[in-house]
Amino acid sequence: MSDNIFADIYNKILSLFGQNVKDESKNTAVNRLRLVLMQDRTNLTPEIMNRMRSELIAVLSKYVELDKEALDLNIGQEGEQMALMLSIPVIRAKDEAEIEQALKEEEEAKKAKEESDEETEAETSDEETSDESDETETSENESEGEISESEDGESASETEAENTEDAEIDSDDSLTEEDQPKKKTSKSKKSEPPSEEE
Amino acid sequence: MTGRVIVITSGKGGVGKTTTNANIGTALARAGKKVVMVDTDLGLRNLDLLLGLENRIVYTIVDVVEERCKLKQALVKDKKNPNLCLLAAAQTRDKSAVTEEQLKDICDELKKQFDFVLVDCPAGIEQGFQNAVAGASEAIVVTTPEMSAVRDADRIIGLLEAKEEIKSYKLLINRYRPNMAAAKDMMSKDDVVEILSAELLGIIPEDTGIITSTNKGEPIVNDDDSLAGRAYRNVAQRIIGEDVPLIDFEEEAKLSNKIKKFFSKFLNKGKEN
Repeated sequence: MSDNIFADIYNKILSLFGQNVKDESKNTAVNRLRLVLMQDRTNLTPEIMNRMRSELIAVLSKYVELDKEALDLNIGQEGEQMALMLSIPVIRAKDEAEIEQALKEEEEAKKAKEESDEETEAETSDEETSDESDETETSENESEGEISESEDGESASETEAENTEDAEIDSDDSLTEEDQPKKKTSKSKKSEPPSEEE
Repeated sequence: MTGRVIVITSGKGGVGKTTTNANIGTALARAGKKVVMVDTDLGLRNLDLLLGLENRIVYTIVDVVEERCKLKQALVKDKKNPNLCLLAAAQTRDKSAVTEEQLKDICDELKKQFDFVLVDCPAGIEQGFQNAVAGASEAIVVTTPEMSAVRDADRIIGLLEAKEEIKSYKLLINRYRPNMAAAKDMMSKDDVVEILSAELLGIIPEDTGIITSTNKGEPIVNDDDSLAGRAYRNVAQRIIGEDVPLIDFEEEAKLSNKIKKFFSKFLNKGKEN
């Protein structure tokens, strides 16, 4: 305490002589260091911060018109605790109709997105199922050697099935599971060495 | 006996790890403890120079690991103090010449024969650091009151906290300039301790004597008049477990600062006129 008084008097005396109290660079160092360590200690990369920023803008824009450029999101400190400091310059609050409009738009956008998602999902799931059936084919080939032997006589019809097989897989997903093993056996037959037929 | 294995580390280079190692080791030996210093900075060995032992090294830690000699043969005794030994790093090899396991084995072997095993860690956070830390159960983190050193110390503390084997770590602030701290031109010890929230082991003031003592290959703790030497001896006492108060460099500096400044203002005024 006495020290502070001392320093005050000292500074006053200095200012009497027209000497400005110099800025204390160590405070700058401490503040900069605190911030940089805060960032070092978390995993909040600049990319994540940017993402957070743009998502926040999207949410807030529904309710207020804000200065997107001036929105400031930073990691800071509240006592011992790390804090996210968000400063949002609001140009004006939106009225009820506008908010409703924004919410409606959002709802629509959501729906549209869901639909497009469903489509893409359906496409990808098609691919997946066909992939899966390919996989099961190969695995069953290995285990169903006996079956293929017993179905020796069906070779003619099997080749027929073979011809249409590719087309079926591409266009028709309604193949029942019972149909599939048949085709597989035909395939396996073809690839198997002649010794088996003897 | 089971000695304590203490790694001296910092992250940033040039903050005084090796100087600290040489001085704490010498001070502990002066206090009657049996001390061995292990230099793990392969390829960049310097601890031998600070101790003035560079001409006595026959075998290095790599020779021990590759079984060209026994561990005991590779230990170099200090010129003055028979309690003090050095296991030197190899100068011709890189960090991959010794593994974590091998270093751990060496530390385990040494702590049977010595009260203190001080491991000098290379700068950085790569394999060299991992190796040095492998055998230790305590750490001294050396930093200076500069932003870059403090930031790196923070990183090292994070890594040490993640290591189960490291039971405790303490902070040593090196190259402290009480005058600058008192004038608020440099972070104070309190700033550094608060930012890193680590326990403080000691403060070593910047001292030109460090350079001259290195020139001579004679650790500054052997100089009874040196302030840095006194600070290092205090640190050694604290490591042993004695309660030695910190030297308050700042209090002394503040007063002299103010007097100096006040008069310099007058002098400058006079010159301008």
